[in-house]
Amino acid sequence: MQLLLEQLTNGLTIGSFYALVAMGYSMVYGVMKLINFAHGDFFTLGSYIGYAILVFGSGWVTRTFGIWGGVVVALIGAMIGLGVGGLIVERVAYSPVYKAGRLPLVVSALGASIFISNGIMAIWSPRFQAYPQTSIPTGSLLLFGDVHITYIKLVTIIVSWALMGLIYYVVEKTLFGSAVRATALDRETATLMGINFQTIILFVFSVGPALGALAGVFAGLNYSRIIFTMGWGYGLKAFTATIMGGIGNIPGAMIGGILLGLLEALFEGFVSGQWKNVFVFLILIIILIVRPTGLIGEKVAEKV
Amino acid sequence: MKRISTILVTIILALSFLLTACGQQAAEPETIQIGLQVPLTGDFASEGQWAKQCVEVAKELINKKGGVLGKQIEIIEADDASNPKDSALAAQKLISQGLKAVIASYGSSVTAPAADLYDANKVVSVGYGCTAVRLTMDTQRPYFFRTAGRDDTQSEYFAKFAVEILQAKRIAIMHDNQDYGLGVAEDAVKFLQSYIDSGQVELVYYDAITPGESDYSAVVSQIKEINPDVWFFTAYYPEAALLLKQAREAGYTGLFVGNNSVPTPEFEKIAGVDVIKGSVHLNEPMPQFLSYAESVEFMDAYKAKYNEMPGSIWAVYAADALNALAAAIEKAGTTDPDKVAETMRTMTDAAGITGPLMFTERGDRKDIPYYAYIYNDQGELELYQK
Repeated sequence: MQLLLEQLTNGLTIGSFYALVAMGYSMVYGVMKLINFAHGDFFTLGSYIGYAILVFGSGWVTRTFGIWGGVVVALIGAMIGLGVGGLIVERVAYSPVYKAGRLPLVVSALGASIFISNGIMAIWSPRFQAYPQTSIPTGSLLLFGDVHITYIKLVTIIVSWALMGLIYYVVEKTLFGSAVRATALDRETATLMGINFQTIILFVFSVGPALGALAGVFAGLNYSRIIFTMGWGYGLKAFTATIMGGIGNIPGAMIGGILLGLLEALFEGFVSGQWKNVFVFLILIIILIVRPTGLIGEKVAEKV
Repeated sequence: MKRISTILVTIILALSFLLTACGQQAAEPETIQIGLQVPLTGDFASEGQWAKQCVEVAKELINKKGGVLGKQIEIIEADDASNPKDSALAAQKLISQGLKAVIASYGSSVTAPAADLYDANKVVSVGYGCTAVRLTMDTQRPYFFRTAGRDDTQSEYFAKFAVEILQAKRIAIMHDNQDYGLGVAEDAVKFLQSYIDSGQVELVYYDAITPGESDYSAVVSQIKEINPDVWFFTAYYPEAALLLKQAREAGYTGLFVGNNSVPTPEFEKIAGVDVIKGSVHLNEPMPQFLSYAESVEFMDAYKAKYNEMPGSIWAVYAADALNALAAAIEKAGTTDPDKVAETMRTMTDAAGITGPLMFTERGDRKDIPYYAYIYNDQGELELYQK
C-alpha cells in the first residue's frame, strides 16, 4: 500500500513535467496546426537560462534574494527569456514560411530545434552542467508513513497546476480565449470577424515557450543535471502525452501528461524498468486504435 | 555561361588535387602520426576531453625526450560523438588519412565498430575506456589492444568484496541494458552464484533502468522498499548521480556501490557532497593514488598545463595507450602495423603511467589491480578500509 502511494506521488511529479511541456505543444498545434519540434529545445534553453541566472557571479542571486527568492528569479527570468525567444523563433523561422504549406513549416521547426540545441552546446559546452547545490532548496515533507516529498517537488506540482488552471481559464472562459479558439477553428473566418491573428500568434508563441522554460528550470532544480540534448526526450514524451490526451486541446494535454507520468511510475515500480518505454508506447497505440482522436479529443471541432 | 562555370569547376578541382598531393608529400617524412578517436561530443564528452588532454601531455613528454624513431609524434583527432554510428565514421576518417596506429576509444559499444574497421584495414588500435569482455574474447582482432582492464575482473572483485569484506546478505544489482552495464551485471551474478547457491547471499533485485532519463523515483522507491544491504549499480555516472540523489531524498540509507565509471568530478558535481559521502566505488588505481616514477612525472606535467588532476583513470589509460604505441614503434623500429602489433604482444619492458604496459595474446592488458574507494565527509575519495 505504501509503495503504491509512493509510486503515485512519483508519477504525479513526472506527469506534471510532461503536462507543462505538453501544454505548450498543444497550444501551438491547436492554433497553427504545427508540430513544433523546437518545443523540447525551448525547455532545454529555459533550463540553461535558469542555470545561468543561478551561477551568475557565483550565486549572487541566491545571496541577494535568499534561496527561494533565487528560485523565483530564475523561474521568472527563464520565462521572460523564452517568452521573447519564442517570438523571435516565430518571426525568423515560422512566419516566413506560413504560406508555403505545412511541410516546409515542420522542416523549419526541425531546423529551429537543431539550431537551438547546437547553440546551447556552443555556449555552455557539450558537457553535463549541474545546478549549484547551494541554490537548490533542500528538505522534504513527510506525507504519510515513510513517504517523503521534497519541497521543490511539491512546489513544482503546485505551480504547474496553478499555471495550467490559469491558462485553461483564460482560453476557455474569457473573451480573448474565445478569439484564440475561434482562430484555431478557422483562421480565415476568424480574421474576417475582426480577430487580430497577430495578437493570437503573439499569445501562443510567448506563453507556450514560457511554460516550457518553467518546466526546464524545475527540471534543473529537481534533478540538477542538465545537458543540451535533454529537450529531445522531454519533447518526445510531451508529444506522446498530447496525442494520448487528444492533440490541440488544453485539458487533453494536462490529462495526457499526468496519465503518462502515472503509467510510467507504476509500470517501472511494479513490473520492470527496462520495459517501461515499450509498455508506455504500447498503451499509446492501444489508445489510438480505440480512440483515434485521443482520450478527450471528442470535440474535434474545438481545438486550442 | 555554362561553359565558364564548367571551366571554373575543372580548375578548382585540379587545384585541390594538386594541393592535397603537395600536402601528403610534405607531411609524410617529418612526424609520426597517431590517430586519436575520442568522444568530444555526446554523453561521454567529458571523458573524451580529459583523454585528449592526457594524450596531449603524454605526447609532449615523449617529444621532449626526442620522440619516436627520432621523429616527433603528431596527434590526429577524430570525434566519435559517444555513439557507435559516428564511431565507424570517425574510424573511416582516420583510416582514409593513412594512419597506421590509433587510440580508440571510450565505451565498449562505441569502440566495437571502430575496432572492426581498424582491424580489417590493418591499423593497430588501442582502446582506453572499453572494458566489455567480448571485445577481446568473442573474436580475435590481431590489431586491437586495450590499456584498461576487463569487466569480469571488476565483477569478480565485487563478488568477493561484497560478501567477504562488506558481509552483505541481501544484494541488489542494477544495470542499464547497454553493453558495459549489462556485462558487469551478468558477470557479477556469475561470480556471486557460488555464494547464492550456498545460501550465504540473496540476490534481491536484478533489473535495468532506462538510461538518459531524469526521473528515477519509481525505481528508487522500489529499492527503498526492498532495502538491500548493498546496491550495486553497474552503469555510467550520469544515471548513478541521479539515482543516488533521488534515493537519498526518498530516504534510502543503505550502501551504494558504484562501478569504475562512476567516481568522476561530474558525478560529484551533479549529486553533491551530502549525497555521495559514504558511497563506495570499485575502481582500477585512480590517478591521484598512482605512485610510479612515470606517474609522478606525468601528473606534474598535467597539473602544470591544466591546473587540475586528470578527470578519470580512463583518461590516463588514453595517455598510456600512446605510451604503449610509442614504445612498440620504437622497439619494432618501424610503423609497420604487423610488426608493431607483434611487438605489443611480446614487449615486457615498456613503463607506463599506470604500471608496466604488457598485453596478452588477445590484446588485453596484463595485471590490473582493483580497489574499493569511499567518499569521505568532505566528498574526497579514500581507500576503503573496514
